[in-house]
Amino acid sequence: MNDNKLKAKDFITIGIFTALIFVVEFACGMLGFIHPYIVASFVVLIPLVGSIPMMLFYTKIEKFGMLTIMSVLIAIIMFITGMGWLGAPLIILSGLIADLIAKKGGYKRFKLTAISHGVFCLWICANYFPVVVTAESYRKGLIEGGYSAEYCDALFRAINSKTIAVLLILCFVFGVIGAFVGKAVVRKHFEKAGIV
Amino acid sequence: MIELNHVTFRYKGISEGGVYDLSLKIRGGEVVLLCGASGCGKTTAARLINGLIPHYYKGELTGSVTVNGRDIAQTELYDLAGVVGTVFQNPRSQFFAVDTDGEITFGAENIGMPPKEILARKNAVAGAMQIEKLLGRSIFGLSGGEKQIIACASVSVLSPDIIVLDEPSSNLDCEAIEKLKDIVAQWKSQGKTIVIAEHRLYFLRELADRMLILENGRITKELNAEEIKKLTNADTENLGLRPMTLPEIHGSHQNTDIQGDVLLLEDFRFTYKDGKHGINIPRLELPANRIIAITGHNGAGKSTLARNICGLERKCRGTLTMNGKKLKAKARLRHCYMIMQDVNHQLFTESVRDEVMLSMTDKSLNDQQKADAILAQLDLTEYADKHPMALSGGQKQRTAIASGIASSKPILIFDEPTSGLDLAHMKQVSDQLKKLRDMGKTVIVVTHDHELIRSCCDHIVRLENGCAAENCPLGE
Amino acid sequence: MKALKLDPRTKLFMIFAVSFIVMVNAVTPLEWAVRIAVTAIPILLLAAEGRYASAIRFTVCYGAALALMRFWLSAESTGVFSAILVGYCGIVVQFMPAMIMAWYVIRTTKIGEFMSAMQKMHIPDGISISLAVVMRFFPTIKEEYAYINDAMRMRGISFGGGRYTKMIEYRLVPLMFSCLNIGEELSAAAVTRGLGAPVKRTGTVQLRIGAADIAVTGFFAASVMLFVFAKYIR
Repeated sequence: MNDNKLKAKDFITIGIFTALIFVVEFACGMLGFIHPYIVASFVVLIPLVGSIPMMLFYTKIEKFGMLTIMSVLIAIIMFITGMGWLGAPLIILSGLIADLIAKKGGYKRFKLTAISHGVFCLWICANYFPVVVTAESYRKGLIEGGYSAEYCDALFRAINSKTIAVLLILCFVFGVIGAFVGKAVVRKHFEKAGIV
Repeated sequence: MIELNHVTFRYKGISEGGVYDLSLKIRGGEVVLLCGASGCGKTTAARLINGLIPHYYKGELTGSVTVNGRDIAQTELYDLAGVVGTVFQNPRSQFFAVDTDGEITFGAENIGMPPKEILARKNAVAGAMQIEKLLGRSIFGLSGGEKQIIACASVSVLSPDIIVLDEPSSNLDCEAIEKLKDIVAQWKSQGKTIVIAEHRLYFLRELADRMLILENGRITKELNAEEIKKLTNADTENLGLRPMTLPEIHGSHQNTDIQGDVLLLEDFRFTYKDGKHGINIPRLELPANRIIAITGHNGAGKSTLARNICGLERKCRGTLTMNGKKLKAKARLRHCYMIMQDVNHQLFTESVRDEVMLSMTDKSLNDQQKADAILAQLDLTEYADKHPMALSGGQKQRTAIASGIASSKPILIFDEPTSGLDLAHMKQVSDQLKKLRDMGKTVIVVTHDHELIRSCCDHIVRLENGCAAENCPLGE
Repeated sequence: MKALKLDPRTKLFMIFAVSFIVMVNAVTPLEWAVRIAVTAIPILLLAAEGRYASAIRFTVCYGAALALMRFWLSAESTGVFSAILVGYCGIVVQFMPAMIMAWYVIRTTKIGEFMSAMQKMHIPDGISISLAVVMRFFPTIKEEYAYINDAMRMRGISFGGGRYTKMIEYRLVPLMFSCLNIGEELSAAAVTRGLGAPVKRTGTVQLRIGAADIAVTGFFAASVMLFVFAKYIR
């Protein structure tokens, strides 16, 4: 019996939490159409809100691979729903690194878990890749596609090749902060309820 | 066939529900019924046989379990898949596939059976269980009873020698229970060994070869087939079990005029998007300050009516007249409080006391005292600071009732409050309902539990195809 | 129309094609033509599933959004109202077609079919099991959320007493409890039926590429090529 291999139960857990994370990201994503600054604020919003299911997920992780598989699933879902298909490598890479970091702490040490969550959250930035990489044609496309110049300017003021670095850092920072928020919620509800 | 040898098991981190020094031998072809109050260890015994303990649920295990000559602790679950089949309690959560065909063949596909054989078996099982009309459907469109039958079929396809059923009837109505009974009878005639952990016993009266009563993880009484058939309702009552016969429910047609205040429902017409299910009730008079049972088969519109009375369906045009006031859907939401079948959906906060305070509309300094008074009424005082989700099912339900009382709404609606409850807890619910009536509330109970209706309801509404077929006080 | 049956792989390709074409911004009339033609497919699929009302509703919304974008909103429009309109149009024109496709695929693809298709594409079992669970869980989350939402309305706490954190907490926490419970029971039921056995899973669903698959694949391949040509090469 090899205990390091993922079992059916683990795959089901991954599936459930991926679905939850996607629902959170989708709910936040819908807000993004209201104003482009909200698109940029995903780096704050999603790590904070998403951290609640994620921190619960972390309590279920015992073996290497669960975070990585989750990132692969997220990449596939993002690809299917047309959000940031240029970012797939980034999503999977951040998942893999996050997995390795958390593994170092045996998935138990909170410090490493927090950093791991910060890294994992970088996948959110993958959504911005099309904006940054194809900036000029994207902008042209948006304007000619009916978006107002105001929306586009705001969007590009918020997201461009210079700010992407800032966004990545913000994402990481709020990912780490989110880890504390999520941990607090997990402690307040799930630990108190004796579920984890 | 099955042998438990001095087995002791305690769940990790949970004190309840373990078994202690349990020894048991079950012969091939036997139908064994495990019963007893909640937490007596019958589900644990079932899990020891199907291998979920120790492979899935973790805890301390001593002693040995042998099934078909295999030591369970040393056998992987997937190797047991063709040997022991399991039907679970909750039809909603045991499905992996989203279509019936896929669900039936799921197990056989997992263990790599050749497709041709799987299909042949699927057709044979569907024929034997007469469920051809359920094939090719989406799981999400099935009733609880239909789902449970599909679950039985998906076990049957693997043709295991042993079949374990863990409270399979909890969420079923009488009709579906009849169907379940037929399936168990069929399995018995095929020579399967069957182990059933159950609260509702009447449907197994003729089928069970042996009945084991557990208490605190130990077998306290053993009955053989003859003794089971001789059990009277007084006997089961003494044993703390649900009766062996289904009580009859009759409406009284002599005195149909409603005494006292009346709730008048008018124009309750509502159809779901699928166009099939719904209710059509032009006018219905219900007595206020009584316990009213709404019964009928699955799909007759019981829950729909309850949701509409509560005002949860915005599209419903119907009105409820109470104390001379006509209430539309939105206003009804402020006058009704529903205790849902799955109370987990309506518990939001981090402690039982907060949960009650959340419902208090008039914010005053006395809130906490008032909350504590309500908790005391429902025997929840010692749990006030606990997380609602840490409680047992019955306690969760009482927490929901407590916040219903706190909201000071006059109408309380219960959706299947006794599904999956043992006798003691069923009686507890019945007492609670009576208490609410004494407090002056109107209590509406959607239920197919005849025993509950017998024990506390005053008035009965029977629905058929969305119409009120019967509306009268409950007779003797 | 019910007879329409496509191979899961065709459906996957369809999703990719639709989200590709719909997400990239169309500029020229030709590009718009391709895009509208591609958007017609999800509408037809809605109708094929008997969701006529939804199909008509979406068609109307889509038409309105297109008209708005064409005649009203331009590079000059400013202000909050137009920002919201832009948002609305964006959702309808860009996300809805892809969402409807995803809905269609989830609704019509049986888990057995999906697993067989994944196996044929040599995707590891672990990933296909997880993805299958994701697919199965969307309707479950929807169901559970509906109940939670009902309970919140009944108790008048839909807005969390005006606090955003409570609004999120009251929704997310019960949802997570429910999903954990269901997941626990689902796993137990799945492992007792041999999920995770170290043998090659068999599939009773025979996947066959039929005429419809070829036609649909051809249509989408042509649309994508036309679109790419119009956008990047010309």
